[in-house]
Amino acid sequence: MGRRKKIVQECERLMDKPENIRNIAIAAHVDHGKTTLSDNLLAGAGMISDETAGQQLAMDTEEDEQERGITIDAANVSMTHEWNDKNHLINLIDTPGHVDFGGDVTRAMRAVDGALVVVDAVEGAMPQTETVLRQALREGVKPALFINKVDRLINELQEGPEEMQRRLLDVIDDVNELIRGMLEEEDYDWSVSVEDGTVAFGSALYKWGVSMPSMEETGISFGDIIEMERNDERQELHERTPLSDVVLDMVAEHFPNPLQAQPSRVPRIWRGDAESDLAHQMRDVEDEGDVVFMVTDIGMDPHAGEIATGRVFSGTIKKGQELFVSGTAGKNRVQSVGIFMGGEREELDRGVPAGNIAAVTGLRDAIAGSTVSSVEMTPFESIEHISEPVITKSVEAKSMDDLPKLIQTLQQVAKEDPTIRVEINEDTGEHLISGQGELHLEVITTRIEKNQGIPVKTGEPIVVYREAPQGASREVEGVSPNRHNKFYISVEPLSQDIVDAIQLGEISNDMPELERREALQEAGMDKDTSQNFEHLFGTNILIDDTKGIQHLNETMELVIEGMEEALNDGPLAAEPVQGALLRLHDARLHEDTIHRGPAQVIPAAREAVHRALIDSEVRLMEPIQDVRIDVPSEYMGSASGEIQGRRGRVDDMFQEGDLMVIEGIAPVEEMIGFSSDIRSATEGRASWNTENAGFRVLVDNLQREKIGEIRERKGMKQELSPAIDYI
Amino acid sequence: MLDFIGLGLYDERSITVEGHEALSECDRAFAEFYTSKLAGATVEELEEYHDVDIEVRDRAGVEQEPEPILDAAEGGEVAFLTAGDTMISTTHVDLRLRAHERGIDTRVFHGVTAQSAASGLTGLQNYRFGKSVTLPFPYAHGGEDVPKSLVEGLEDNRERGLHTLVYLDIKTEREEYMSADVAAGMLAEGWADELAVAVARAGSPEPIVAADRLSTLAEREFGDPLHLLVVPGDLHHLEAEALKAFGGAPAELVAVE
Repeated sequence: MGRRKKIVQECERLMDKPENIRNIAIAAHVDHGKTTLSDNLLAGAGMISDETAGQQLAMDTEEDEQERGITIDAANVSMTHEWNDKNHLINLIDTPGHVDFGGDVTRAMRAVDGALVVVDAVEGAMPQTETVLRQALREGVKPALFINKVDRLINELQEGPEEMQRRLLDVIDDVNELIRGMLEEEDYDWSVSVEDGTVAFGSALYKWGVSMPSMEETGISFGDIIEMERNDERQELHERTPLSDVVLDMVAEHFPNPLQAQPSRVPRIWRGDAESDLAHQMRDVEDEGDVVFMVTDIGMDPHAGEIATGRVFSGTIKKGQELFVSGTAGKNRVQSVGIFMGGEREELDRGVPAGNIAAVTGLRDAIAGSTVSSVEMTPFESIEHISEPVITKSVEAKSMDDLPKLIQTLQQVAKEDPTIRVEINEDTGEHLISGQGELHLEVITTRIEKNQGIPVKTGEPIVVYREAPQGASREVEGVSPNRHNKFYISVEPLSQDIVDAIQLGEISNDMPELERREALQEAGMDKDTSQNFEHLFGTNILIDDTKGIQHLNETMELVIEGMEEALNDGPLAAEPVQGALLRLHDARLHEDTIHRGPAQVIPAAREAVHRALIDSEVRLMEPIQDVRIDVPSEYMGSASGEIQGRRGRVDDMFQEGDLMVIEGIAPVEEMIGFSSDIRSATEGRASWNTENAGFRVLVDNLQREKIGEIRERKGMKQELSPAIDYI
Repeated sequence: MLDFIGLGLYDERSITVEGHEALSECDRAFAEFYTSKLAGATVEELEEYHDVDIEVRDRAGVEQEPEPILDAAEGGEVAFLTAGDTMISTTHVDLRLRAHERGIDTRVFHGVTAQSAASGLTGLQNYRFGKSVTLPFPYAHGGEDVPKSLVEGLEDNRERGLHTLVYLDIKTEREEYMSADVAAGMLAEGWADELAVAVARAGSPEPIVAADRLSTLAEREFGDPLHLLVVPGDLHHLEAEALKAFGGAPAELVAVE
C-alpha cells in the first residue's frame, strides 16, 4: 500500500471522531510565509518530500501562483498528526495574503475553527495582519501566532538572544493589542502568549520551529538556536525540533475541535430557530442528522467540473443525495464527495461527516456562500467581505467564435469569486469585470487566456464610482405614465455607522424583524424609522412611512423594483448609489390592479428616487486607498511626492528602525501605475502596501468632467438633468 | 377638437351610428388596443369600413408621449378610439384632462362596454353589481396567485350580496388573452363550489354564456377571446331564472329561498 493511500485511510478513520478533528486556516500579510509553512506541515505529514518543502509551494497549485510566488486562491488539504498519543485529522486551508484577494480569506474563515496567523519577525504586524485577524475574529475563529523568519534576525540583523527576545515580544504585544481591540465587546480573551503555548517561532524556510512546550520537551533554548543557525547546522536543528511538529502540536492542543467550536459558531453565522432540531444537530455535530453544508469556495477541475468546497455542519454528505441549494429552486444531485490531499481530490464513497471540510461535485447551482442542505432551511448569514470592487476592465474575445465560451467562463469566474462582479454593457455588448485591484483583474484575465485557451483583449482599467446623497431632499413626487399613481419620496444620507453595520452583515433583508430593528437602533437609527424599515438594497434603505394605504402592500414589490433600478443606475452617471435612506411618505394608487401594474409603478418609483437624489445634491464618489510606504530616509521626499502628486494626502511620517514610514491616502484612479512610478522615484528602495478604504466625494471641480467621461464611455447623452445645477 | 369614441364590443359594426359619423368626419384618427381589442375586426377592416386612416399608438405613445395626439387635436378634428368605451374600464380620463389643460375641446361618444354585456347577456341586474376587479396574469403583477386586493374586492361584494364583474387580463403585445376557464381555475382555488358565469365573445353574433361551479367552468373551453367572468352574489328570482334559461345553470346552484 502506498504512503498516500495509507494517509487517506487514516484520514477516513479520523473523520468520524470530531474530537480529533481540527479545521484551520493559515493567514498572513503577503510574503510573510504562509505557503512555505503549509509545505512544512505537508512534508511533516509525509505528503511531499522533506527536501522540497520550502521550495515546492505545493499549495500554490495554479501555474501563475508558482510564477508570481504568491498564493491567489485559498487552497485546501487534509493531513494527520499525532499529539498526546492520539492521531488527529487536520483540515488546512492556505489563504492568499495579497490585499486584492481578501474575499478568499473571508470565505475560508467560515469553514474553519482556528486561524494560524503568520507574522514576519523582521517586518512585524503589517496592515494585512490586522485585516486577516479581523476576518478571523469576526467569524468567531480562534487565533494562534507563528512568528516566521526568525533566522533573519540571527543572520541578517545579527541579533543576540536578548535583542531577539525583545523583538519577538514586541511582535506578540502588537498582535495582542489588535486582538484585544477587536474583541472589546466580547466576554472572552483570545490574546496569545508564549507561556500558554499559543505562540510558536521559527523559520519555515529552514524548517525548524520552537514553542514553550517544545523547548521544555527538547531542551533547546534560544541560545542553542542562535548557535546552530550561525554554525549552519540548520539541518540538525530541523531534525531536532521540526517546525511541522511544533506547529501541529500547537494546533491540536489549542484550537477547538468541531464539538467545541460549533455550539458557539452556529448561532454566530446562522439566524434560524435556535430551538429547532436542525439547530441542535448542527451544534452537536450530528453525523446522522440532516445534511447541512456551507460552501466557502467553488473551484474548477478540468475533469470533474465545478468543485464546491465547504464545511459540513451536520449530517453526512454523500454521493447521490438530492440537496437544496439556498436561493435557487429545485435540488442538485451530489455526484461525488471527497477530501483534499495536496492539490488533488480523493473521492470517498462513504461520504464526509459533520465537522469536516468536504469537496463536492454536482452542486451546479451553488456559489461560494451557498447553504446546501437535505431539508429546506434558513440559509447561513451571507459571507460579507467589506471591500467592494473598485476597478473594472472590459474583456472581449479576440475571435467572435470564442464569445459563448467567454461568457460561460466569466459566469464561472463570478461564481468562484463573489468579490468579482461581471456585467454586460447592453449598449456596447462589452463584458466588464470588476474586482479588488489591478492585480486581481490581471490574474483573472490571465487565467481565462491560459486555462480556457481563449485569447482576450482587455481594456484599460477603469475605476468604479459611486453616487451618494449629500443632504436631505424635500419630498418629491413620482408619477406613473398613466398618471393614476403617485409616489412621494424623500432621501437623506445614511449615517456611516449604519452603512458600516450593513457592510458587516449586521443588517439584512432576511433576518428576523425584531432583531433587525434592534441592530438598526444600535447603529443609531431612531425608533420610529427603524420600525418602518421596508427594504435594504446595497447600502441603501427604504423606509415606509405611509399609514394604511389600501393596495400598497401588493404594490410595494414593484416600488422596490423601481427603487432598485434607480439605485443601480444613479442619476449622474448611472453608477451605483450608496448610503441613501429613502422614505416613502405617501402614495396614491389606482383602484384596479391592471392600472397599477409594473409598467406604471416601476417608472414612477424610479423617477421619484432620481428626483429626490438630485434634490439631495447627489455627488460622484471615488474609491480611495490607504497607502503605506517604507523607504530609506533619503528617498522620503520623492516617495511622499508620489502620494501628493496623485491628489493624495500624507497623514503621517515616522521613523521605524532605519526606515521612514509614510502613511496617507490617495484616489484609486491616480494609483493606477503607482508601482512602476514609486520604483523609479526611489530607485527600487521602497516597499509599500495599499488597502482599499472606501469611497470619498470627488472634488467639485472634477465632478462634471468625470461624469461626462463616464457618460461618454457608457454611450449616454452628455446633458444632465437641468435640476443638477449645484456642481 | 378631440373626440373620444368607443368602438363597442366586437367588430367594426359595434360602434354607435353617432360615433361612426364623428369618426368618418375627423381629420386624423388615433387608436390604442393595449387595454382591449376588437376580437372580430382588424385595424384594416376598421379603416375600410369607416373610410379613415387609423394610427395605432402603444402604451408609451399614449401615456408618456401624448403630444402628437394633442398637437393634432389643437389644429383639427381628431378621434381617439378604443374598444368598448374609452372611459369605462380603460379610463382615458387622463388624456382628456391633458387636452382640457391645453384648451382643447373634447367630446365623448359612448361605446357598448363589457359592463353592459355582463348585465345584458347574463340577466344579472346592473343595480346589484359591486366593485369590479381585474384578474391579471400571475407574471404581470409580480405575484404567483390571485392578488390580495382582488380577493378582498370579491369578498366585500359577496358579503353585501353583490355581483362581481371580473375583467380578464389581456396582453395584446404578446397576443395573450386570459380565457374564462383559466380564470375560473385560478379562482376555484378559493371558491371551488361557488357559482360563476363565463361570458365569451360578447357583442358577436354567437356569444356564449355559461353558469356553473367555478371548478366545473375551469374544465370547459369557451373558444376564441375575449372572455369575462361574473361571480354572482345573492340572486333575485328573475336573475336565477335567467341564469338557468340563458346560461344553463344547474337548478340546485341557483335555488332562491
